[in-house]
Amino acid sequence: MFQAIAATQWKWTRTTALLAAVVGFALPIASLQSAHETATPQEFIARMQNWGIGYALLAAGSGLLIALAAWGHDHQGRHVYALSLPVSRVRYVMLRFGAGALFLAPITIAVLVGSLIVAMSGAIPQGLHAFPIALSVRFALAGLVSYAIFFAIGSGTTRTAAVVLGSFAFLLFVQFILSLVNVEFNLLSRLGDFVFARPGLLSVFSGRWMLIDV
Amino acid sequence: MTLAIETRDVHLRLKRSFAVSQLDMHVPHRSVYGFLGPNGAGKTTTIRLLLGLLRPQSGHITVLGRPMPAAYASVLARTGYVPERPHVYPSLTVQEAMRLHRSFYQTWDQTWADELLSQFGLSAAQRVGSLSKGESGKLLMLLALAQRPELLVLDEPTDGLDPVVRRDILAAVLQYVNDSAATVLISSHLVHELERICDWVGLMDRGRLVAELPMPEFKNGLKRLRVAAAPDHLGPTPFTILSRERNHGSMEQWLVQGWAPGMHEYLASVGASVREVVDLDLEEGFVEMLRSARDRAS
Repeated sequence: MFQAIAATQWKWTRTTALLAAVVGFALPIASLQSAHETATPQEFIARMQNWGIGYALLAAGSGLLIALAAWGHDHQGRHVYALSLPVSRVRYVMLRFGAGALFLAPITIAVLVGSLIVAMSGAIPQGLHAFPIALSVRFALAGLVSYAIFFAIGSGTTRTAAVVLGSFAFLLFVQFILSLVNVEFNLLSRLGDFVFARPGLLSVFSGRWMLIDV
Repeated sequence: MTLAIETRDVHLRLKRSFAVSQLDMHVPHRSVYGFLGPNGAGKTTTIRLLLGLLRPQSGHITVLGRPMPAAYASVLARTGYVPERPHVYPSLTVQEAMRLHRSFYQTWDQTWADELLSQFGLSAAQRVGSLSKGESGKLLMLLALAQRPELLVLDEPTDGLDPVVRRDILAAVLQYVNDSAATVLISSHLVHELERICDWVGLMDRGRLVAELPMPEFKNGLKRLRVAAAPDHLGPTPFTILSRERNHGSMEQWLVQGWAPGMHEYLASVGASVREVVDLDLEEGFVEMLRSARDRAS
């Protein structure tokens, strides 16, 4: 059953997964290329750090697109096919979730392979170290977090999506009102800290994404 | 009589203006039950309730001896469903759709699926989204039949299809019923289509099941009578008067159910006489029953 679900989902996801895998493979190599001609280890690290956001964006984007692909076809058919299948709804959701999560693997593997090539290239300045496994594990976790969040949002109805977006709009509105009445309280910043600082839900995305560090 | 489907006082309000209510439905085991009703009568909603796709606000539903929607997974494993609109993922090929469907049904008969594929003239490599309406209908029927269900639920399976495809699909259903003694619930607003194949009829209108009876009774017992000199108030009658309209003078036109030839004598005993007895075909019967149900409701 899982195999059949995964096969159909692969059909909807493969373009995204393969493109993301190519980008994931190229990111470490491109970052090394850009840092290669720097004069000092500090400059080298700074150049590598500039590329770090790329891993976070790739993980978030891959999670988003794979999650949307997981539900897109069910939404089109108003879930009638899924609902008429002889499996419990929880199991069906888990099958879909598992199949999508599986397709994060080739992207993570591509990041790992690219990182290992960089680590073994011998182009790293003395005193610096490569962390290909740590970076790949973090990439996998970030991808999973992004996938899980968008999978949950994507599984809902249009009304659910509207509620989520409406909540964001409401926060922006509250912030706008606070600034209008000169209240020194940055709601968005507080919320950002709450979500992105440890142990926040999205803390895996924050901080430095370093393939090479001291 | 054992029942494949039974509902008791089921109620579901979907919109402010539409509700399925007081639904008491009885589909006998191994019958072909024609579920008739005009567009928007609530047939699809009822079918979705029966299959656990919707949850009733009150009442009880039993399908194949199991409560719904509580036991939906085990009931759906024994049920073939052809929905009103194609529900299979359009990006899959016919072959992929069959493979996906097969993985959910232990009773899937691949040999028969292959036979149906060639019988219906479908190409395994064709994308579901590029199938014509008729081919789509055939694919849905193939998927429902090849799982060898005990219960087939067909929601307007031939709506909008040409006569040739309609015949192919209904022939496949009949063949399956003959071979397997399955129960079939088939909804349609094409009355004449069901006349040939059904042995029970349920008539739905405005969210209510207004009649439910064996097909022979529906076809044979439903008559239009021209009656002269009938008294205004009748006691208990050996047949059911669905409607009664005054024509000219003392002549009246009655629509009755459960009419039998010997019943002229009853009318004579109350001082009335029958001038004409007209057999109604299924479509006329359907229309008259609807009219009478609406009159009663208003």
